[in-house]
Amino acid sequence: MYYYILESPASRAVRQSYQRLRDILTSFGIAGEMVTSSPARTPEELATMGLEKGYSTIVAVGGDHFANQIARSVIGQAVLGVVPINASRLVTDLIGVNSLRGAAEALKQRRLSEVSTVVAEPDTVIFLEAVIQPARLAKVNLIIDNKLRAYAYFNKLTVDRALNLTLESSHIVEQRRILGLFPVGGNVVKSESHFHGRSVRLSTDPELNLTVAGTAIARTPLQLKLIPSSLKVITRRGTLV
Amino acid sequence: MVKVIGEGNNGPGTTVGVNVALSGTLKDQNDIAVYGMVEGEVISDKAVVIGQSAQVKGPIRGQVVTVSGVVRGSIDAGEKLEILETGKVFGSIDAKDLVVHSGATLVGKCSMPTSEEEPAATEEEKSGQDKEEKSEEEEILQPEVEEV
Repeated sequence: MYYYILESPASRAVRQSYQRLRDILTSFGIAGEMVTSSPARTPEELATMGLEKGYSTIVAVGGDHFANQIARSVIGQAVLGVVPINASRLVTDLIGVNSLRGAAEALKQRRLSEVSTVVAEPDTVIFLEAVIQPARLAKVNLIIDNKLRAYAYFNKLTVDRALNLTLESSHIVEQRRILGLFPVGGNVVKSESHFHGRSVRLSTDPELNLTVAGTAIARTPLQLKLIPSSLKVITRRGTLV
Repeated sequence: MVKVIGEGNNGPGTTVGVNVALSGTLKDQNDIAVYGMVEGEVISDKAVVIGQSAQVKGPIRGQVVTVSGVVRGSIDAGEKLEILETGKVFGSIDAKDLVVHSGATLVGKCSMPTSEEEPAATEEEKSGQDKEEKSEEEEILQPEVEEV
């Protein structure tokens, strides 16, 4: 039987989605225990309770950050199921469904896929995609696999669960000033870099937050480590992921 | 059955952007593209592209290497090396197939492995050589006999 953890509903529409999901799961015969997170009961606490009750499959019902929180708690201990509600393409692409019914069918069929995750030491897990996005151009220093050092300026740094790093930057060069005051013209230089490794030491100047779906999960400096095939996730049968 | 996602995949390749400075060994089983500064080795099992804005100080090794920036170091291209108009190479190069465009700079030794062997000796030359070798051997092997 599955243990469903529902994200605290932010709107009436979400509450209605939960009711519809209950009906679908009941009709499929896979309605298990359902709990809803709240300020009093965090998703991590609920996942731990589910594991203590002996559930081997924990289903996260909610968005990206919520799924990431549940993944962090169940990693290495149980199978993760996801029902995406207000989730990004990162989730729907991974599990191969973008509807309540599709997600319920996937849960019923229970096809397991092993995915890699990244641990930002000491205990933050990146199951989807984490981003560092400073307000203005910031400096980053990377040490990849202890053999490669990289220095760069960036506007956006993305880390995915396979420890692929993408650095994006955009800045203006050769800008002129009218009366020495007002900057005009100039060429925009856009840059994109891609790196990957098994361990990455990442520090920024200034210190910045690493976020998942806009919520901070860690802060630089960070030691990132790839944990291959560390999480079993229920995905749709016949999906090419 | 459990399907493993991402196993056997060695990443999408490496790209070093314009405003990135890098030092150390840059090694990838997939393609490498450099548009920034690299100080160290650049090694790929596939293609290496050195962009126009790139400056590389160190040896480069790849199957297909394309240079349109500045390289100060040796280049070992298993299949093909192409130096474009804006490319500048200061170092020895070793490539099976070499293309240097007009306007490019190449300062260094160039070596290209060839499958052609040295022309084989004719039968007569061979037999002549054999005879000479034999007579030399005979002279060496003949016992020194003193006439009494």
